[in-house]
Amino acid sequence: MTGFALPIPVIETERLILRAPRESDFPAHAALMASDRSRFIGGPQEPAFAWRGFSASLGHWALRGYGMWLVADKADDTPLGRVGFINAYGWDEPELGWHVYAAAEGKGVAYEAALAARAYGAAHLGLDGVISYIDPANARSQALAARLGAEVERDGEVMGHPCQVWRHPKQGTL
Amino acid sequence: MPLSFAPSAIPVIETRRLILRGPEPQDYPTFKATFTSYRARFMGGPLNAYESWMLYAAEIGHWQIRGYGMWMIHDRDTDETLGMAGGWKPAMWPEAEIAWVIWPGKEGRGIALEAAHAVRGYLYGALGWDTAVSYIDPKNLDSIRLAERLGAVKDAAATPVDGNDVVYRHPAPAALADSQLAHGIEMEIGHYADPLFKPKGWPID
Repeated sequence: MTGFALPIPVIETERLILRAPRESDFPAHAALMASDRSRFIGGPQEPAFAWRGFSASLGHWALRGYGMWLVADKADDTPLGRVGFINAYGWDEPELGWHVYAAAEGKGVAYEAALAARAYGAAHLGLDGVISYIDPANARSQALAARLGAEVERDGEVMGHPCQVWRHPKQGTL
Repeated sequence: MPLSFAPSAIPVIETRRLILRGPEPQDYPTFKATFTSYRARFMGGPLNAYESWMLYAAEIGHWQIRGYGMWMIHDRDTDETLGMAGGWKPAMWPEAEIAWVIWPGKEGRGIALEAAHAVRGYLYGALGWDTAVSYIDPKNLDSIRLAERLGAVKDAAATPVDGNDVVYRHPAPAALADSQLAHGIEMEIGHYADPLFKPKGWPID
């Protein structure tokens, strides 16, 4: 094996660690993308497509200088979801995105992770006051965005899908 | 500011006419031109612009996950990109494969042969692979011809990716080292590299 490893930063919160995704996280990710829970984030998808998205989230860091972290349980490294900045082809600007795997739902994991990622982006990546694209029917993500202090800015679309564009407050104005 | 990621940890392979380096952001336009074109019909394409971008990001991610991946093939003199070659193994694939793609208009110069021969030598030598396959669409005659020029033979017993592909098995490292086959490959590459050599017949990769 070579020593190729992208220097993706690691963030620790009270209960979580945000780190680069690795292959052992893929089964949890593939399970999400195969399920109906992925209907607001481009799924359900066959595992081959889920793999492309999973491995592309690493290359995203190399191409953009920022990307998504894998959110893991700080205690035992169990993969709980993903959070971070997405700016793939077709995005208007970088967005803060999040999703949690089924077993981690309802524990405030996405809130804790998104708060930490947003703060890191503003402090270290030049990403402040970013957007989140949210499906008009995705009430849970809308509730989280509101809890994070974001507000609906306009109607938009990604990949031809209509969605709401939420704008996060600049960290200086929190 | 966004972080800056140098791809320097990906090894560079130099051959007589080529330099193989990791995929870099500035190489993306030629990748996109190929993968959004009919040229990509045997590689899951043509892709739309989003799928193409995601696949390019996945090419880079593959290096981190596997420790190997696809190199970008550059012309040694002009640095222009000519295609890609390397090792490839998405999740759930039966085995790691040696893969290649040559950009449209760059075929017929033995580029893929020279690049695939070099990456196979690297994967066998530096990374210690003891076998390798190539999964090829049975309608992709140019790639089948290249696999055969590289000494690979159809392996009917091997598991294909999804049944729409044929598995070619490359000669094992010991069978390839210092063999008549290896010498023949190097001679063929030498003939392509020699500007006095003008192959007859239609172009092959």
